[in-house]
Amino acid sequence: MKPRFDTGDKVMVLELGKSGHIRVPFYVRGHVGTVIHRCGVFLNPEDLAVGNVAGPVVPLYRVGFWMNQLWPDYDGNALDMLYVEIYDHWLAMVDKSAVAA
Amino acid sequence: MTRGYHDIGGKEAGTIPMVELPWLHWEKQVEAVRNLLGDGTRRMLSLDEMRRGFESFGEDKYKALSFYRRRLEAMIDILVEKDVICREELENEIASVRARWETGYKT
Repeated sequence: MKPRFDTGDKVMVLELGKSGHIRVPFYVRGHVGTVIHRCGVFLNPEDLAVGNVAGPVVPLYRVGFWMNQLWPDYDGNALDMLYVEIYDHWLAMVDKSAVAA
Repeated sequence: MTRGYHDIGGKEAGTIPMVELPWLHWEKQVEAVRNLLGDGTRRMLSLDEMRRGFESFGEDKYKALSFYRRRLEAMIDILVEKDVICREELENEIASVRARWETGYKT
């Protein structure tokens, strides 16, 4: 699978409604972040969790979220970001013009 | 949205106790065993399989156990599920080690 996103892309975290072992914390789902870094490709932990080591590998991204967007009562620095590493299939491209940077 | 009982980031948690907990010998052994079971020569149990294990305990059991106890119990569940060991075998081994331990160090 080729990485669909690049550094600087705005992405929305999907709610895939998956059961079983998933790595995407609840608190970032539905939020928009920015791809900070492409981490490479790795076996999907959702597959590994059920003993499937055959792949395929999935691109992983480090995605940055503004702290004050994740937490409405955040009173730290307005430029503080939280980084979460998220696999490709949990992300959707966001129209750059539709989202305030 | 689906939210596992373990997925507590951002929930109200009250004051965080800032105490350094000791890392007990048996806890290190749990990690050592996990590393051996998951290494490149064995691949009997992955970290993500173990996580699936304790994420399917049910909330009461999950909350009743400590961090390393969860990992230990989940590893046993997965090894039984994959037919690497069976419960009876494990219980017999625990009984035999316990017997050795209780008598072995008395001189």
